[in-house]
Amino acid sequence: MAINISTAISRETVSELLNENIVIQTNNLSLYYTPEKSALKNVNIQIPEKKVTAFIGPSGCGKSTLLRNFNRMNDLIPGIKIEGKILINGKNIYDPDVELEDLRKRVGMVFQKSNPFPMSIWENIAFGPKVNGLSNKKDIDEIVEESLRQADLWKEVKERLNESALDLSGGQQQRLCIARALANKPEIILMDEPASALDPISTGKIEETIDELRNNYTIVIVTHNMQQAARISDYTAFMMVGELVEFNDTNTLFTHPDKKLTEEYITGRFG
Amino acid sequence: MNQASKKFFKKGDPYVLLTSLGLLISLGMVLWLLAIVLVKGLGIFWPRELVQINLKGENVYLGELWNSGKEISENEFEQIVEEEKTQLKIGNRDLYGYDFIWISDKEIKTMTKPQNAAVFERSEYGNLYGFILQVNLNNEIVTDSSELFNEAEKGISLAHELKIKLDEIEEEYNTLLTPLNKIQREISLLKVNSDFLTDEEAKRLNLLKEEENKLTESINQPRIVLEEKISTLKERLNSFTVNVITANGDETLMQLKNVVRLYQPNEMGIFGKSIHYVQNLWEFLSGEPRESNTEGGVFPAIFGTVMMVILMSILVVPFGVLAAVYLNEYAKQGALTRIIRLSVNNLAGVPSIVFGIFGLGFFIYIVGGSIDQFFFSDKLPAPTFGTGGILWASLTLALLTLPVVVVATEEGILAVPKANKDGALALGATKWQMIKKVVLPNAMPGILTGLILAISRGAGEVAPLMITGVVKLAPDMPLDFNFPFFHLDRKFMHLGFHIYDVGFQSPNVEAAIPMVYSTALLLIAIVVFLNLLAIYLRNRLRKKYKSSSF
Repeated sequence: MAINISTAISRETVSELLNENIVIQTNNLSLYYTPEKSALKNVNIQIPEKKVTAFIGPSGCGKSTLLRNFNRMNDLIPGIKIEGKILINGKNIYDPDVELEDLRKRVGMVFQKSNPFPMSIWENIAFGPKVNGLSNKKDIDEIVEESLRQADLWKEVKERLNESALDLSGGQQQRLCIARALANKPEIILMDEPASALDPISTGKIEETIDELRNNYTIVIVTHNMQQAARISDYTAFMMVGELVEFNDTNTLFTHPDKKLTEEYITGRFG
Repeated sequence: MNQASKKFFKKGDPYVLLTSLGLLISLGMVLWLLAIVLVKGLGIFWPRELVQINLKGENVYLGELWNSGKEISENEFEQIVEEEKTQLKIGNRDLYGYDFIWISDKEIKTMTKPQNAAVFERSEYGNLYGFILQVNLNNEIVTDSSELFNEAEKGISLAHELKIKLDEIEEEYNTLLTPLNKIQREISLLKVNSDFLTDEEAKRLNLLKEEENKLTESINQPRIVLEEKISTLKERLNSFTVNVITANGDETLMQLKNVVRLYQPNEMGIFGKSIHYVQNLWEFLSGEPRESNTEGGVFPAIFGTVMMVILMSILVVPFGVLAAVYLNEYAKQGALTRIIRLSVNNLAGVPSIVFGIFGLGFFIYIVGGSIDQFFFSDKLPAPTFGTGGILWASLTLALLTLPVVVVATEEGILAVPKANKDGALALGATKWQMIKKVVLPNAMPGILTGLILAISRGAGEVAPLMITGVVKLAPDMPLDFNFPFFHLDRKFMHLGFHIYDVGFQSPNVEAAIPMVYSTALLLIAIVVFLNLLAIYLRNRLRKKYKSSSF
C-alpha cells in the first residue's frame, strides 16, 4: 500500500509502516463543527493492523473527534461538516454504499464513561449480536462467554449473568463495555479514554485486558495519560489544535521525538 | 422600621409561617372532603331503627329518623320564632306520594320503637314500613304472629327461586321463536315496498312465506307447552303475598316477588346489623340500579368507568408515545418543533367540553356515520356507530389526555442518558433498534407517569362523556358473553355521570342524597386504585432501570 508521506511522519516510521498492514488511513481529513470552527485540519494518518495506536495531546486537540470519526459517531452531531477521506481496509467509509450499522459492527467502541445498559450482564453482551441478527440462544451464550473471557471478566461474573449490570463496580462495568464491543467480533476497537474515570487498580486491569487483546485486534486508544500511552501502545500520535503533529512508534516518540513541540509536551513544558 | 423588626422580616419567619399555613389549608380541605364523603358514603349502609311517632292529633307515623334542625319563620304576629323539627323517612310512596316529612317537635306526643316493625325493600316505590298481618304462601295462610316474619322471609326466597325459573323458561321461549321472528322481519321488510319488487325478490318473498308456515307449524307444539308452563308459574308466583298494615292503619297487599329484602331493624343486634351492612354494601357494589338509580347497586357504572378508562389508556398511550418519540428522536429540532410542543402543551388547557363537541362532530357523526354507511347499512336509519358509544367516549378522552402523555413521555425520553444511546448505536444498532431497546424501556417510568396523569384526568371527566355516549341507565354492558363480546358501539354508564344524574336529575332527590355520597366515594376509590396500580408498576420499572452511575 502506498504511504502518503506527510511531515508528521518521519522517514524511519514510514519505512517501518511499510512493513505493516494499514487498516485505517485518513486522507486530508478536515472536520468543522460550525463553518468557522474547525476541529480537525488535514489529518493524514495510517493505523497499522493488530497494533495498539495511542492518540495523545492536550484537551481539545481533536484526538477524540478523530477517533469518533472512525465509526462515524460524529455523524450524529447536527451541523457537522467533514471533508477528506477515511479508508478502512482501503474503502472510504463515507461512500454511499457503506452501511453505517455494518461499519459500527466492524469498528467497535468503548467510551470514556462506562455505559452499560440497564439490563442484565448477559443481555448487555448479547445486545450487539442480537441487533446484528443473531437469535440462537446457544450461539449467543457462546459469544457471551468468549467475550467476557477476553475482557477478563468471566471469572467475576459467571455466577450472576442474569443480575443487573449496574450492580458491577466501575472497573468491572468498563470491562463489561469492552466485552460488549468484543461480542460483535470487530476488527478494530476504538477506546476513548477508557480508564480516565477509574482508580489505579481498575486502570491496571483495563491495561492488562488491552495487552491481551493486542494480538487479535487493531486497537486505537485516546488517552490523557502519557505513561499509559507509553506502557501499552506500539504507535503514538501526538495532536494539537486539530493537527497531527507527530506520528511515530511509541518508543521513538517518547525518547527522541522528531518535533520540538512533541518534546515540549511530553516533558511537561505545556499542556 | 427599627432594627429588631427588620431582622425579623429578613429572617423570613412570617413567610415560613405563611407557607406552612398554605400547606395546612390545602391539606385540611382534602381531609375534610374525604371525611365527609367517607362518613356520609359509608354510613348509609347501616340499617336504621324504625321509630313510631304519635302526634298530638290523630296522626301516627312510622319511619327512619333522618335529620333534625331548626326552622326559623314568622308567626301571624310578625314575630320571628324558632321551631325544632325532625325529618322522618316514612317510605310507602305508593300510599302517601312522598318519602319524607318534617314534623315539628312540639306536636310529638310519644316516640316508640315497636319491636316487630318491618322494612320491606321493594323493587318499586321505595321502602315500605309497617307490620306484617298475614302471609300467604301458595294458598297456605299464616297468621300466627310469632311465625309471620320467618314465613315471610321464606316466601321471599321461594318467590325469587320461582322468578329465576320463570326467567329461564321465558328465555327458552324466546329462543324458540327467534328463527320465526327473523323470517317475519324479512318478510315485513320486503312487504314495505311490495310494489317495486323484482322477480327475484318476489320469489324470495313466496319462499319465505312458505318457510314461515312450515316453521309455525313445527314449533306449535312446544310453544303451547311453554306458554302453559309460563302462565302456571306466573300464577303461582302471584300467590305469594303478604298483608301489611301501616302505622296509621292502612292495610295493603303486597306480592313477595316485588320484595328485594325484608328485615326488622328494631330486633336486630349489633351482629345482625353488621351482616345487613355488608349485604347492603355488596348490593351497592355488585347490583343493578333500581328506582331511577336512587336504590340498588352501581355495578354497571363501575364497569363502564373502568372499561372506559382502560380503553382510553390503550388508545392514548401508543399514540402519545409515538408522537413523543418522533418529536424527540426523528424530527429536526427547530422553530417547528417548538411550535408543536407549545401547541401540545396548550391543548391540555382546552376545556373538556370542547373535546366533547369535537368527539360528537368528528368521531360520531363523520367517522361513525361512515362506518354505518359502509358496514351496517342494513340497520339504517337506526345508527350503530353513528351514535354515542363507549368507543367514541374513550377516543374523545384519549384525545383529551394525549397532551399529558406526550409531555410526560418526552420528559422520560430526555432523561435517557446520551451515553446509553451512543453505546447502542456504536454496537451497530439502527436508530429504531436503539429506540426500541434503550430509549423506550428507559423512558417507561416517564410514560407511566403520563398514564397516571391521564387516568386521573380521564376518570373524573363527565362533561365530554355526556355528549359522546354516557347514559343514565344502560340496558346492556359493553362486555358480555354474546358474540362478539366487546360491544364498542354500546352506550354505557359512568360513576361521574351517575353522581350528577342521581344528585341533580332524580325525581326523588332527598332519597338519592346518600347514593350521591356513596358513588362519589366509590369514584375516588377507583381512581386511587387505578393510580396506585400504575404507580406500583412505575416503581418496579424505576428499580429496574435506575440510571447507571459509579
